[in-house]
Formats: sequence, C-alpha cells, structure tokens
Amino acid sequence: MVTCTTVVLASLTGALAGSLLACVPGLHVYNVIALIVVFSVRLGSAAVLPTEALACAVIGLVVAYAMLSTIPSILLAAPDESAFFTTLPGQRYLQDGRGYAAVWLTVVGSLAGVMATAAGYVLAAPCLLPTVWLVFRPHTHWVLWCVIAFMLLSEWPKGGSLGQAGVHKLAAAWTSLGAGLLTFLLSAMLGFILLHRSPMAPEAAFQNLMPAFIGLFTVPWLLLNGLSRTEIPAQRIEKRIVLERRTFLQGALAGVLGGGFAAFFPVITGGVGAFLAGHATALRNDRAFMISQGAARMVYYAGGLLLLFVPGAALVRGGAAAMLRTLFTPFDRVDFWMAAAAMLIAAASVCLLARPLTCGVLRAMAVCGYRAISWASLGLVALIVFAVTGLMGVLVALVAAAIGLIPLLCGARRMNCLGVILLPMACNLSGFGPQVAAWLGLQ
Amino acid sequence: MKGIAHFSIGVAVASCFPSVVRAGADGNPLGFLLGGIFGLLPDTIDFKFTRYFYRHDLEVVPDPLRPNARMTADAVALAINRAYETGRAVRIKLAPVRLAADAWRRYEVEFDVPARKVNVRFGPAVDTSGNELSERWGGAATEAEAALTAPIKIEYFARLTIDAFDGPVLTMEPQSDGRIAVKFIPWHRTWSHSLITSFLAGLATTWWLGPIYGAVVGGAHAAHVLTDQIGYLGSSLFYPFQRERVSGWRLAASSGAAVNLVAVWSASLLIFWNLCRNMNPAPAGWTGARLALYGLMIPALLLAALTRRRLRAHRRRVADGR
Repeated sequence: MVTCTTVVLASLTGALAGSLLACVPGLHVYNVIALIVVFSVRLGSAAVLPTEALACAVIGLVVAYAMLSTIPSILLAAPDESAFFTTLPGQRYLQDGRGYAAVWLTVVGSLAGVMATAAGYVLAAPCLLPTVWLVFRPHTHWVLWCVIAFMLLSEWPKGGSLGQAGVHKLAAAWTSLGAGLLTFLLSAMLGFILLHRSPMAPEAAFQNLMPAFIGLFTVPWLLLNGLSRTEIPAQRIEKRIVLERRTFLQGALAGVLGGGFAAFFPVITGGVGAFLAGHATALRNDRAFMISQGAARMVYYAGGLLLLFVPGAALVRGGAAAMLRTLFTPFDRVDFWMAAAAMLIAAASVCLLARPLTCGVLRAMAVCGYRAISWASLGLVALIVFAVTGLMGVLVALVAAAIGLIPLLCGARRMNCLGVILLPMACNLSGFGPQVAAWLGLQ
Repeated sequence: MKGIAHFSIGVAVASCFPSVVRAGADGNPLGFLLGGIFGLLPDTIDFKFTRYFYRHDLEVVPDPLRPNARMTADAVALAINRAYETGRAVRIKLAPVRLAADAWRRYEVEFDVPARKVNVRFGPAVDTSGNELSERWGGAATEAEAALTAPIKIEYFARLTIDAFDGPVLTMEPQSDGRIAVKFIPWHRTWSHSLITSFLAGLATTWWLGPIYGAVVGGAHAAHVLTDQIGYLGSSLFYPFQRERVSGWRLAASSGAAVNLVAVWSASLLIFWNLCRNMNPAPAGWTGARLALYGLMIPALLLAALTRRRLRAHRRRVADGR
C-alpha cells in the first residue's frame, strides 16, 4: 500500500532527476526510463523501489522533461521530435537576446497543459475515455492516414513568387515541396528498414528508433549552428514578462487540443498534434505559438502517460507508458489519484527549478560561446547514441542526419521527417505493413 | 477557411456514408482519405498549380534595401488608368519584399474609392507568420499616393497587405458602368471551386471506384465550395456557365480563429457521431441530441460570449471596408 510520503518523495525525486536530465541535449526521457526498466528487471523491481513509487518517479521524470526540455531545444537548438516547431521561433528570440523569455513562454504553456490535463483527467477521462476509445479503436489507422495526407498537402510552396508565369515558375515553387516529399519518403524508408530489418544489435533493439530520431531532428540543427558561424547576442534575464490574456488563452487552447489529440491517438507525436491545433485555431502570434508548444508537449507526454491509470480504459500511449507497464499495472482508483497527485507535485517543483536551470545554461553559453556549445552538444549526442545503441546506431543516426538536413537546406518542412514512424505504422495499422516490407525486399 | 477546416469537413462528409465507416473499421482507409483530400483539393489546385500559369502584364518588385512607395503607387495607378483608356483588362502582380530567409518587408496598398487615389505604405519587417520583427531590420516607413483617372469598384477589401511568401495579382477590369473593377487574385476560386466541377469529379470517381466513393468525392468538394461562401471572396459557383465569382456571404474572415475552430470541432463531432451510430451495438447513452448539447451548443455559447466584442469590432471593419 503506497503512502502519501512515498508519493511525494518519489515524485520529487523523479522531477529533480528529470529536470537535470532535460537540460542534456539529445537525451530523451524515454531513454532514461528504458534504462530504469532494464535495471529494475535485472535487479528485480521490488529490490529497487516499490512499484507504485517507481510509477510516481517515472511521472515526475516525464513531467520534468515535458516542461524543461525546451531549454536545450530553444537555447541550444537541439529539439526532439515533439519540439522541432519550437526551434525556429525560439532561435529568433535567441537572436533578439530573448532566449530566457522564450523558455518561459513554453514553461507557462506547460503549466497550462498541466492544469488542463489534471482537469480533463479527473473530470472527464473516467466517464468519457472508455467510450470514446471504444468508438475510435477500429478507426485509428485511417486517422493516421488522414494526418499524413494533411501534413503533405498543407505544405505551401516557398518559391516562384517573381517573374512571368510558366513552367519555370512552377518548378521554382515545387523545389521546396519536392524536397519535403523526398524527406518524407526517405525517412519512411528508413523507418521501414528499422522496423523490419533493423541493423542494430539485439541488445539495443529496445531503442531501435532513438538514433533515427536524434539524427533526423537534433543533429542537423546542431551541425548547422556549429558550421554557420552564428553569433548569439547577450541574453537578457527578464524580471517580468507581460503576457496578454488573449494570447495565453489562444496558445493554451491550441496546445491542449493538439496535445490531447496526440496523446489519445497512437503514433501521432506532440509536435504533429501541436501543428494540427495551430492550424485549427489559426495561430499566428509567436508568443501564443510558443505557449501552445509548451502546452502540447505537456499534455502529450504527461497526459499520454496518465491514460494508463484511467480505470476502465488503461490506454498505453507513448514510450513511458509502454515501458512502465512492464513493471507496474494500475488497477484501482487509488492508482488513478496517485498518478494525478504525482503529476501536480512534480509540475509544482519543476517550476521552481526552471529559472535556475535556464540561467545556468545561459551562463554556460555566455562563457563557452554558442558554437562551442553546439559542437559540444553534438559530441554529447553522438556519445549518448553510441553508449545506448553502439556503432551501428551511430551509423543510423548519420544516415538520418543526412535526411534531416534536406528540409533545412531546401526550405521544406522538418515535420516531414516524421515519416520515419508515421508511414510504417500507418501501413501496419491498416494491415499491409508486412506486404509493403516484402515489396521493399525487407522480408 | 484554413486547410484543416476544409480537410476535416471533407472527412466528416465521408463519415456520413455507413459503408465508408464499415470499410474503415475493416481496415480500408480509402473513403475517409478521399473525403479529406478532395475537401482540400480546390485550394491545392489553385495555390500549387493554377497561380503559376496565370500571366500578368505588369510586375512590381520593390527594392528590399530602398523600397519606393512612389514607384509602387504609380504602377498600380498605371494599371487602372491603362485599363480605363484601352477598355481592356490589365493584370498587375505585386511581389513580396524578402529581406532574409524568415523576414519580409510588409507593405499595404489601399484604394481610396471616393477620392480616386491609391495609397501605398511600406511598413515594418515581419516574419513568415506576420509577427513584427525587431529593429535590427531598420528601414523607415515610407508612404506615397497616386491619382486615378477612373472610378473604381472594389470586389474584395480596399486595403491589401503584402508580406510573406507571395503577393497578389490584381486584375483591373473595365465594367459596363464605366468603372474599373479591382479583382483580387482572379485565378483563385474559378473552375476549381465550381459545383459543376464537384459533380464531374464525383462522376469520374463513380466510374472508377463506384457510386459511394463518387458521392464522397463530389460531396467533399462541394462542401469546400459552399464553405468558402461564408467569407468575402466568393467563388465561380457554376463555372463555366457563369465565370464571374459570386460574392461571399461575408459572415467571417477565412483566417479567423473562431470560425476555423468551430468548423474543425463541428466536423470532429459529426465524425464521432457517425462512427457511434454505425457501431453494433451503439454505445449506451450517446444520442445525437446529447452530443449536440454538450459538444456543440455549450462550447458555442462560451465561445460566443468570449468573442462578442471581437465580432462587433469585425463588423465595424467590414462597414469601413465597403
């Protein structure tokens, strides 16, 4: 039987560890949780911690990551697959000396996401979720196909604005679109290879996609930052950030809707959810956008994990829930309330750490220089990939980085890199994934 | 409407067909995909193909380092005056002013109908989303005006803003009453946004894939066309039998947050309801009336209360723009 003290201590421990680890560029919380699971299984989980305490610690880790991983995403331009949208406006803020404000806008969004998640989880999830999932369960495959179709169709041409009409103008416009489609197809091909004929060692199979995600989303930005002689001005630590109520509400609403969509439907990540919600709410304001990204990440990561604890539904969404399920199975309302409490305790404590950690990273940037930090981050990311997945993982990351550079260099959408998981999983959910793999010679 | 609203409405149209829902549950996504794709297709055709083949007579390309409002105003006036003098339509393209990969100089072209003049104002640097950028791009605002010899008629808005990605083509077309009509992006919403095209697309799909998919395609396309009538620009609803655009109902701006959110949310509720009622057995307690009340009416009342002030301001702007 879990006690209040256990819940509080475990949540705080997870939050503290998650806050520190969130500042490490390229390190995803799922990698950390995977190591915890492997360690627990080898030792026998009860010897490590009571399983309820482990669950609270994992919730703390996830909440801290969701809130503070925007620090490396914005300040070091080292996003994961759910934060790549944050990088471009974040870099603009950084170049204006307002990186601190950019981080805080996403933290504010994350807080809105925590509140919305708690309210939805407590008030609506137990009565709505089982039925909504029952209705949508056989239809998730076409939802994914529709997301892919909209993603590809909604990209706008970026050239061809000058000169007389004609085929040359069409070609100029379709250069970026073509690069986007190529990125999607190549990353999808990489995804099929990793899912059906992975070159990685069996011991690293549990982190099969990690090198691909790091290569596609994190490495290209760091590489370009290091090579481009980017100079970042001195960053202001603002004592006060004024935020209009309308901006906050619009950003929070968009983020909560997008994160909720991504948390509910499998395979769809927080970045895609935020993208869809941004379109649905016609989001244009940079500040509202940053807030929406923070809210979407929190609802996606924390909300997705908490779906595991909803009585009568117990949906496994996201890597954290899938891995936690191997050690702990929630089964009653005590676990339901425990999870909610753990999330709120973790969120409150992480807020207190946001400022010192952000200032610490900014100080490091001022001392070491932005390019040096980018190169150091790149080295660290390579080390993490090598440590977890070995040399083959590094090679996979290099291939993925080559694909991830295409949209950056050709002005296409970076979200198309999500083809690495979207297309293979859509094919699998529709039942013809193995057939496609056979056509590709992978089976 | 934004693309996601059209896409969602197209998927919602597809969900109205029980056989599409059953096929979806059995692993066949085609019906829903066709609904979404054809719901978005009209704008895809226009913005990704048609506009690159629409020829113009004049092109204004402001200097990014020294934008010349006088030159721009004179060029727009020249197009209108030439159309008046020759009695033939003149097309003018207003190019965007790119400063960097993610920076543009915003400028406005405003038609003053009573005073018969056109004003041009070069403003701040903005990013791709339209947010103003910092002072480091510099550039003082410049403004100029040019006189028109002809009376003009505005079909869209009197003030046009040109910033990110691309600028509009305007066709200055002589009318039978002697005025020159200023037509905004005349290549948009013509044959691609015709109900005749919806019918033909549905017919072609029926021949290829069967009547259900044909109805999905035709319905999704028609839904896009009719939804666009909510805005200002309108469409050539019966092209080729009627080539002029039928003016929109002017109920909301297509880029408005509230109208897009309402459209996407309503479409989502309709999809959910259609999935529900095609289940056997259907989930207990979920009736259409209950879903409409909790999912639509209550949020709509909340949203209306929140946006009431903005709606009033929007109506004042519409009245000024006429």
